[in-house]
Amino acid sequence: MRRLRAWVVRLGAVFSRERRDRELTAELEGHLRMQIDDNLRAGMAPEEARRQALIKLGGVEQTKENYRDRRGVPVLETLFQDSRYALRMLRKNPGFTAAAGLTLALGIGANAAIFTLTYAVILKSLPVPNPRQLVRYTFREPGVTDLSLSGPAYDALRRHQTVDTDLLAWSQEQFAIEEKGSVSRVDGALISGNGFRVLELHPFLGRVFGDRDDVTGGGPNGYQALLGYDYWKQHFHESRSALGQSLSVNGRAVTVIGVLPPGFDGLIAGMRTDLVMPLAFEEVIHAPNPMRHHAGSFWLTVMGRLKPGESVQAARANLRATEATVREEADPTHHFLSGFFAPFRMGVESGRSGRSFLKVDFQQPLVALEVLVGLLLLLCCANTALLVLARVSSRTREFALRSALGASRARLFRQVLLEVGLLAGGGLLGGTWFGWAAARSLVSMLASIGQPPPIDVTPRAAIIAFTAAISVFSALAAGLWPALRAVRVAPGPVLKQGGPVSSAKGLGRWIVPAQVAVSVTLLFAASLLCRSFLRLRLENAGFRTAGVTMADVDLSAAKPSRKQAGRDALQMVEALENAPGVEAATVLSAPPIHDGWAAGHYFSLGKQGAVHSDMHTWPESVSPGYFATMGTRILEGRGLARADQDTGRACVLSASAAAYFFPGEDALGRFVYSGGEDPSKDGKDLDPGNACRVVGVSEDARFLSLREASPRMLYSLAEGDEWGTNVSLAVRSRTAGLAAAAIRDAVRRVTAAAATPAIFSFNDLVKQHLRQERMLVGLSACFAAIALLLTALGLYALLARDVLMRTREIGVRLALGARPGDALGMVIWQGFRLVLAGTAVGLAAALAVAKLLGSLLFGVGPADPVTLAAVVAVLLAVAFAASYVPGRRATRVDPMVALRYE
Amino acid sequence: MGDKADVWQGTLALMVLKTLETMGPLHGYGVARRIEQTSRDLLSVNYGTLYPALLKLEQEGYIASEWGQSDNNRKAKYYKLTRAGRRKLAQEAREWEQTTAILARFLAPGEESS
Repeated sequence: MRRLRAWVVRLGAVFSRERRDRELTAELEGHLRMQIDDNLRAGMAPEEARRQALIKLGGVEQTKENYRDRRGVPVLETLFQDSRYALRMLRKNPGFTAAAGLTLALGIGANAAIFTLTYAVILKSLPVPNPRQLVRYTFREPGVTDLSLSGPAYDALRRHQTVDTDLLAWSQEQFAIEEKGSVSRVDGALISGNGFRVLELHPFLGRVFGDRDDVTGGGPNGYQALLGYDYWKQHFHESRSALGQSLSVNGRAVTVIGVLPPGFDGLIAGMRTDLVMPLAFEEVIHAPNPMRHHAGSFWLTVMGRLKPGESVQAARANLRATEATVREEADPTHHFLSGFFAPFRMGVESGRSGRSFLKVDFQQPLVALEVLVGLLLLLCCANTALLVLARVSSRTREFALRSALGASRARLFRQVLLEVGLLAGGGLLGGTWFGWAAARSLVSMLASIGQPPPIDVTPRAAIIAFTAAISVFSALAAGLWPALRAVRVAPGPVLKQGGPVSSAKGLGRWIVPAQVAVSVTLLFAASLLCRSFLRLRLENAGFRTAGVTMADVDLSAAKPSRKQAGRDALQMVEALENAPGVEAATVLSAPPIHDGWAAGHYFSLGKQGAVHSDMHTWPESVSPGYFATMGTRILEGRGLARADQDTGRACVLSASAAAYFFPGEDALGRFVYSGGEDPSKDGKDLDPGNACRVVGVSEDARFLSLREASPRMLYSLAEGDEWGTNVSLAVRSRTAGLAAAAIRDAVRRVTAAAATPAIFSFNDLVKQHLRQERMLVGLSACFAAIALLLTALGLYALLARDVLMRTREIGVRLALGARPGDALGMVIWQGFRLVLAGTAVGLAAALAVAKLLGSLLFGVGPADPVTLAAVVAVLLAVAFAASYVPGRRATRVDPMVALRYE
Repeated sequence: MGDKADVWQGTLALMVLKTLETMGPLHGYGVARRIEQTSRDLLSVNYGTLYPALLKLEQEGYIASEWGQSDNNRKAKYYKLTRAGRRKLAQEAREWEQTTAILARFLAPGEESS
C-alpha cells in the first residue's frame, strides 16, 4: 500500500520537476549554510569551513543526482526527453513525417474500417442482458439459407422444449402508418407476448408487452404499440407525451404504451425496427389471409433463453428427441413438413447476435476483405520502414556522434522506435477518424433502395482496442529493422569519414520484392472479383433491366377483401398501360431477385405416359404485358394474351421447365397439371380445371438470384387472388420519371387509401442485389490501387537513391565509353529484377488467396490464367514507369562533373 | 573516516524516525547532527545520503515537511513525524528489538552445549 502511494507521488513528481529542483537547491543551500556557520563557530577559517561542509555533504551535484533518482521515475523522464527530441526531429522533416504518417494512417484506417463492419455485422451481441444465454431455432436444408418457422411449429416447439425458460416469436414486417392524411411505410416487427420477458429487455419509457397484450383484438383497449427509440426521437421529438397517443397502423387505431431502449434494433441484424406490435396484430397486417395457424407459412424467427446451467448442446439434444413429435403437431396433414419441406431439419444455434441475413451475405466477403486489408497494412508498414530506413541512414552521423558521446545502444534503439511510434500514434488518430468515416460511407453504400441498414459504426471499445493493437504492430513492423540498423552504426569509421556511408540497399533488396508480392496478391484478388462482378452484371439473366421501373404497393390501409385487392391490381396495370410514355406494364406475383422465392408442385404426362413431376417450379402470375416489360424473350410459340383469360388457362414455360416437363418433345399445345398438396396423385388426377395449356416457351431467367441457376418458371395470367394486400408492379417506359408519375397516378386513382408506393428501378434492385459484390469489388480495387502506388513509390525511392549513390560509378562508366542507353538499361534492369523476384512469390500467395475467394467468384476460376497474365503485365508496366525516371537521371550524369569529385 | 561504520539504508530510516520522535520537527542538517551525536560519533552519516532517505519516507507518508526558519534565522525545510510514521516507528522498533534479542541469544557464549 505504502509502496503504491510512493509510486503515485513519484509519478506526480515527473510533472513538477522544475519547482522541485528549486526546492532541493534551496534545501541543500540551507544545509550548507548551517554547517558552515557551525564550522566557523568551531574556529575554522571561512575557506576551510566551506570546504569541510562540502566534503561532509558528499558533493552537491552527486546528492542532487541521487535525490532525483529517488524523486521521480527516471525511465519516464528520459522517455519524455527522448519524445521531445523525436517530435523535434519529426517537425524538422515535414515531408518525411507527412509521407510516413499518412501511409500508416491509411493502412490503420482501412483496417479499422473493415473491422468496424466485421464487428457490427458478425461479432456484435444483441443489446440485452446475458446475450450468451440466447438460442435461436432454425429450419434449414443443408447448405441452404435457413427458413423461418411456422406458427404451429413455434407453438409445438414451445410445448416440448425443456431447456429454455421460454421461446419467443419475432417477425420483421412493414407497417403502413397514417400520419396527417398520408400513409407511409415503416419498418418494424411483431413479437410474441412473452418476448420481452425472454429478452429481459426493459423499455426506455412506459412499459413493454406482456401476455395479455398478445391476444386477438389486442385486449379491451385495442392493440398496443411500442416505438423504436430513433423513430420516437424523429417523430415525437423525445416527448413523453408520445405515451398514450393513438396511431393508425394498417387502418387500425393502436395506442403507444412505450419506447424501446436506444441501440435496440430488433433481433434481425441490419433491419430497422421503428414500431413493434404484438404477434396477434398479424391478423391485421396479413389480412385477409392470416398466417398464424397455417402450417405452410414459414415466417417466424424463434428464439429462447437457456435456463441457467443449460447449453446449446442440451437444447440440440432436446430438439433431436422431440423433433418428430413437433413436426407431427405442427403439420398434422403432412402436406408441408413431410412434403416439400421434408428435407428441412430443425436446429438450434447460438442466438447471441440474433438472426442476421447480413451475416449470411457478408460473412465471407468480410473475411476475404480482412485478409486483403491485412495485406495492405503489411505493405504500408513496409513502405514506412523504407522511409524510416532512409532517414536513419541519412542520420548516421548523428547516431555515431551520440554513441561516441556515451549514449547506450538501448537508448539509440529506443530513439528510432520512439519516432516510428509517434508516427504510428498519429496514424492511430488519423486512422480512427478515417476508419469511422469510411465505415459510415460503406454502410450507406450497402443500401441502394430505401434507408441504409442500421449498422452501428460508432467506434466502440473493441474497435478502438483493435485499432490501437494494429498501430502498435505497425510501429514495431516499420520501426524494428531501422532501429537495429541505427544501433549497428560504428562511431569510429563514420565520424572519421565525415559522411553517411550506409545505404538502404541491403534492406531494399528485401522490402521492394515483398511489396511487389503483396501488390500482386491484392491486384489478382481485385481483378478476379471485378471480372466476376462484370459477369454477374452483364451476363444474360433473362431480363432487360434498363428502362424498367418497379413498385411495391401496400393496399392494407384500404382494407380490401382478397378479391378486391386483386381487382385493384389488375386495374392499376390497365391504367398504366394507357399512361403516356409507358411501353408495357405488368403485375408480378413474386418479383425477381427480391429476397423471396416461390415454388409449386406440377406434373406433366409424356407421350409414352411417363409422369414428370416437380416440386420446385416457380409459378409466376403476370399480366399479358409481362414479357414486353421485363424483356424476357419468347423462344417458341407466343406470349400470354388478354384473350387467354376467356379460353381457359394458358401458360408459358421457361426453356428449362419445358425441357423438364417434355424432355425431347414439343411442349407447345401440351398440358401441365397443378399437383396440389398430395404427390401420390401425380399422373392420375388429370382434372382439366387444374391444367394449363402451354402456348409458348421463353428464355430462362435468373429469378431467384443472379448468382444462381434459373429456376423452372411457369408463367400464367394473374386472376387476382394470388396476392394479399401487397402488390408488385413493373413498367417499361421511355423515362423513369414518366413511369414513377404514372404509377403514383394509377395507384391514387384506383385505391385512394393505399400507402404511397415504394418506387425503384430494376437497375437499383440489381444494385441492391449485388451489394456484397459491389462492396468487394470497390474495396479490393481501392486496396489494389493503393498497393500499386505504394509499391511504385517504394521502388522509385530505392532506385533514385541508388542512382544518387552510384553517380560516380555511372560517371566512370560513361567516361569509359558506356552509352547513356546502357545506364538507363542498367537501372531499369535493376528495378525489373526486384519486381520479378516479388512477382514469383506474389503469384503463389495470390493463388492461395484466390482459393479463399472461391465461392465468391462467379464464372471465373480462382486460377484464371488471363487474369494472372494481366496482373503480371500491369506490375511490369508499373515497375517500368517507376524505374524509368531514376534511369533517365542516370543517363544525364555528366562524366566530367562526376569524376571531378574523385 | 574509514574507522567509522557507514549507516545502511534500512537502519537510517529507523534512526530518522526515532530522531524526529524525540526531537520534534527538525531540518535535514539537524537530523544528521543528532544521529552523529547520539551514536557518539561512532557513526558517520554521509549527509548526502540522508536526503534521498528523507524523500523516501515522505513519499511513503511517514513524515511530512514544510518550510520554516532555523534558530540562526536560516530558511530550512522542517520534517516532522506523521501519525503513520509513529505507528511505523513503533513497529520497526519492536522488530529491531526482536532481531537483536535473537542474535544476542545466538552469540551468547556456552549456549550451544545445553
